[in-house]
Amino acid sequence: MLKLEGVETWYGAIQAIKGISLDVSQGEIVALLGANGAGKSTTIKTITGLLKATKGRIEFMGKDITEMEAEDIAEIGIACVPEGRHIFPGLTVMDNLLLGTTPRKRDSKGDIQKDLDHFFEIFPQLQEFKESLGWQLSGGQQQMLAIGRGLMSGSKLLLMDEPSLGLAPIMVQEVFRVIKEINKAGTTILLVEQNARMALLIANRGFVLETGKVMLADTAANLLANEEMKAHYLGAHAHVKEARQRRRSKAEGR
Amino acid sequence: MDWSTNLQMVAAGLAMGSIYALVALGFVLIFNAVNVVNFAQGEFAMVPAFVAVWLMSSLNIPFALTCVITVIFMGVFGIVFQRIAYYPLRHRSFLPVVISTIGVGIFLKNGAQIIFGAEPLSMPRPTSATALNMLGVFVDPQYIVIILCTLVLLGFQHFFFEKTMLGKKMLATAQDKQMARLLGIRVGKMIAITFAYSSILGAVAGILVGPIFFVTKEMGAMIGLKAFCSAILGGFGSVPGAILGGLFLGVIEVFASYYISSAYRDAFAFIILILVLLLRPQGFFGEKIAEKA
Amino acid sequence: MNTSMKRLLVPAVLVVAVLILPRLVTSNYWMDLINLSISFAVACLGLNIVLGYAGQLSLAQAAFWGVGAYSSAILTTQFGLPVWAGMFAAFFVAAFFGILLGIPTLKLSGHYLAMATIGFGIILQLILVNAIWLTKGSDGITKIPSPWIGSFELKAPGDFYYVAAVSLILFTWGAINLKDSRVGRAFMAIRENEMAAGTSGVDTTYYKIMAFALSAGYAGFGGWLFAHSCSHYISPDTFSFDQSVILLVMAVLGGNGSAIGSIVGATLLTMLPEMLRFLKDSYMMFYAAGIVVIMIFMPSGIAGLVKSMPVGLRLRIWWNADSTAARQVAAAASILKSPDAALPATFSACLGSNQVLLTVKGLAKYFGGLRAVDGVDMEVRRGEIQALIGPNGSGKTTILNMLSGLYIPTAGEITLEGTSITRQKPHIITAHGVARTFQNIRLFGELSVLDNVLIGQHGRSKASLAASIFQPASQRAEEAAMRTKAMEVLEFVGLRGKEFSQANSLPYGRQRMLELARALVSDPQLLLLDEPAAGLNAAETEALVELLFQICDRGITILLVEHDMSLVMNVSDHITVLNFGKKIAEGSAEEVEHNQEVIDAYLGREVSNA
Repeated sequence: MLKLEGVETWYGAIQAIKGISLDVSQGEIVALLGANGAGKSTTIKTITGLLKATKGRIEFMGKDITEMEAEDIAEIGIACVPEGRHIFPGLTVMDNLLLGTTPRKRDSKGDIQKDLDHFFEIFPQLQEFKESLGWQLSGGQQQMLAIGRGLMSGSKLLLMDEPSLGLAPIMVQEVFRVIKEINKAGTTILLVEQNARMALLIANRGFVLETGKVMLADTAANLLANEEMKAHYLGAHAHVKEARQRRRSKAEGR
Repeated sequence: MDWSTNLQMVAAGLAMGSIYALVALGFVLIFNAVNVVNFAQGEFAMVPAFVAVWLMSSLNIPFALTCVITVIFMGVFGIVFQRIAYYPLRHRSFLPVVISTIGVGIFLKNGAQIIFGAEPLSMPRPTSATALNMLGVFVDPQYIVIILCTLVLLGFQHFFFEKTMLGKKMLATAQDKQMARLLGIRVGKMIAITFAYSSILGAVAGILVGPIFFVTKEMGAMIGLKAFCSAILGGFGSVPGAILGGLFLGVIEVFASYYISSAYRDAFAFIILILVLLLRPQGFFGEKIAEKA
Repeated sequence: MNTSMKRLLVPAVLVVAVLILPRLVTSNYWMDLINLSISFAVACLGLNIVLGYAGQLSLAQAAFWGVGAYSSAILTTQFGLPVWAGMFAAFFVAAFFGILLGIPTLKLSGHYLAMATIGFGIILQLILVNAIWLTKGSDGITKIPSPWIGSFELKAPGDFYYVAAVSLILFTWGAINLKDSRVGRAFMAIRENEMAAGTSGVDTTYYKIMAFALSAGYAGFGGWLFAHSCSHYISPDTFSFDQSVILLVMAVLGGNGSAIGSIVGATLLTMLPEMLRFLKDSYMMFYAAGIVVIMIFMPSGIAGLVKSMPVGLRLRIWWNADSTAARQVAAAASILKSPDAALPATFSACLGSNQVLLTVKGLAKYFGGLRAVDGVDMEVRRGEIQALIGPNGSGKTTILNMLSGLYIPTAGEITLEGTSITRQKPHIITAHGVARTFQNIRLFGELSVLDNVLIGQHGRSKASLAASIFQPASQRAEEAAMRTKAMEVLEFVGLRGKEFSQANSLPYGRQRMLELARALVSDPQLLLLDEPAAGLNAAETEALVELLFQICDRGITILLVEHDMSLVMNVSDHITVLNFGKKIAEGSAEEVEHNQEVIDAYLGREVSNA
């Protein structure tokens, strides 16, 4: 469904992604993992068109979208739940959801109403907050709303950037339950996460990024069992251990 | 202190305040959408005033039709303005943009003088010149017209932003441009509409205030500066703040110039501005903005 | 052309210009215009200082110009004081009003500042109109006397010209000197990055007020020139907001930040209306359209245009080739022998000394309902390298900001070697010996590499405003010493040879090194590094690690916030781990690496499905 080949992107003066290739097939949940600064968010921004790739190719459902503008990419069926949620703070929950339907030019009001009802089935807690303004919601509620807004676009592919960020553990549980549910209902998901373990528990496959490149790519099950994973996150690689010995002996030698 | 004089002043204050509110609203909408302070906003009220006078006095076009033509003209004007003065500078720091809008303001001022002459013009009144007697208080009917028209316009605007999808898309664009793009909202179009609407607000202000004072090329300058004060007073970036700030300033100005000093009438707006900036820079409704370390 | 000839070139040209000009210009009309241009030029130079150097947008400059004119006019007409006394009054009264403007507007910037200055200017003008007992109101003041030198009255425009020209030369000389001095650099640091200026040791409050006062003083002097020449008549109408706008346009047209540019801009925009008389009424329209066009196509003004042209570039290189700065840098470079000799190795066998340098108790920072830091206790020992780690949002940068004075803690105490530094302003904390770098690199982008490091020494140097302008021998000696030290530190971080490059033009990794150099040069005891390895590739990270070890060897304690775990594990003697604003673990690298709670916090806890 989605394919990236050798994509490179610059973020200001830094080359944030240095040749990334990955793919997402229909119906999957694919996790995009890596430490802070590894390039995960930049990858998402490049796919959605907010950043432009300087090299490489992005393909969606067979179509080359590398040069497309963000507004157009939204219309062809890629929706995004961005990092930090970005709920419109001055608009109500309903308004946020309705704005999510912007790309659906041809659908009838009836269809949209059906999807709205469906949304409140998945997130019953938000029913009473229908007319509340965005800034009044808690972090967890905002996350639910952001996901719902993404769903309202009727898109086939949903990009989610760090949905668990800043949420209490119990909300994190909720969020991942919901992600599984919407995937079962037919939405393909590319999930960027800091919480690698939780992500891999619901994902089919995963890609691990480090300093702008793909370091590991495997099924979720294999990644969970992988020792190198721990190293990537709490990086004490072998050669680093040597350097540490050197310093220790230097200090002791004084 | 006889209260009928006070009530007269309240009416005058609310009327002037409405004008400030309309122009302030224009400032705030543009600022929210593109983070630019338009120092030519006052001229957005001056230009339509001249256009209206010309249509009515030279071409003898009836008032209602004049209003329609002027409003449409300013709508187009706003879009053109955005393309020339804002668009080429949209990625620059704020100093070039400030100077550029100041430049456009001067251009418009002097353009008006060349086209319409240097003599102050008198705008034909839509209302009669005799004061209305309302409950023993003599009020210039134009004040009533101003206040009523402003209320109607604000009502329409409220409906537009609260109930229509286009209005919500514009609000969304102002609140979070990148997210709006991610949803497929055509941000460029939204910005153009914002500028057009801001100019239309100026048109309404200009046509309403024209009959009270003479129409001159300088009329926009003070109105613009005081409207800016109103917006800051209300909390720069807040729509209800701009309106309330304008009304508040209008009333305070009238009372202060009567009870304290009429010579310093123009100073009060700025004295209040400096006090607000010192004591509560976020105004009535604004939010504190702190820089992220 | 050797140096001494070059040095004489400018004064020679000036002397010739000053003496010859009146002979070439025979009409009084044009002479008046020249005097007027000079009056504007001085006011513009002042605007250049507050806006070009210090980055504060002031739209009240015409009001200060008016205050100067009126101060002198009143003193000379109503009180009969000599015109030269009026000159001092003009400068200092205007400067006083500049201070009055600077104080309430300290926390403002951008549009708010512009608005406040406009308001201030309008209020001043209204006072001029209405304080009739003092200023004669709208009638203005007439018959303003000319200055006398001995028994010679400088009445004719051609005679007054000498006063004007000499003043212009002196004020320009002052402005140019200022640019390359401690105070001037402080101004520019504030313009480029006020936050980093503070943590580099610049008292931003003091210098902002100084900038306003100095620029107002310049404007006041310009007003004095105006009052006592030309028509010998002033009225409040002249000192309007419109005039402030014209002064702003003159400054920006000439090139924001360029003293010579201000003179060029002022002259052009004074002469132009006269030369374009034929355009009559449409002149202002062309003027305004020109402003917009210049902003779009030439935002750096004439000075910027000249600098970017190949001719201008070569002229600059030729002129700067033997400048004092260049010579000092070359001299310092020849002293440096090998990298090891670069910094005196102040070996303190501190590692393992267990002496506590920094103590943090119960530190908390709440942003409304958000508890960014929620009661943290920490100790940093002298000579160690400690890392502060934790997932996103755990409060690491907030702690660094409180340690460096950028945030005021909601609760808790911070003690450095027994002295409390809680709630102190950044430049005071820097004076106590704490320096920092920023996550998002806060360099003084438009300034040179060398200037960035010189600003880092602000707190360790002394030159006052007067010293910066007049540059006596003591100031020049101090500058030379500062340059030498700057060179040493630049050598240390590997930036030798790049002294005069613009900070912005450096590649990312080198910019990080520059920020490090700026922090090191202030002789800190404690170095706070916020994600120093962010954006660095593997080779650059390794170089950074080496550098950190060397810094530590010189007795400087390091506290760093980092995400790059290989760096942290490699380098740290002690690690503190945060999560959700609280400390969850601390210890050596091995201990932390195997701590289950830490692993959970980073990799994610497996939350059971209820």
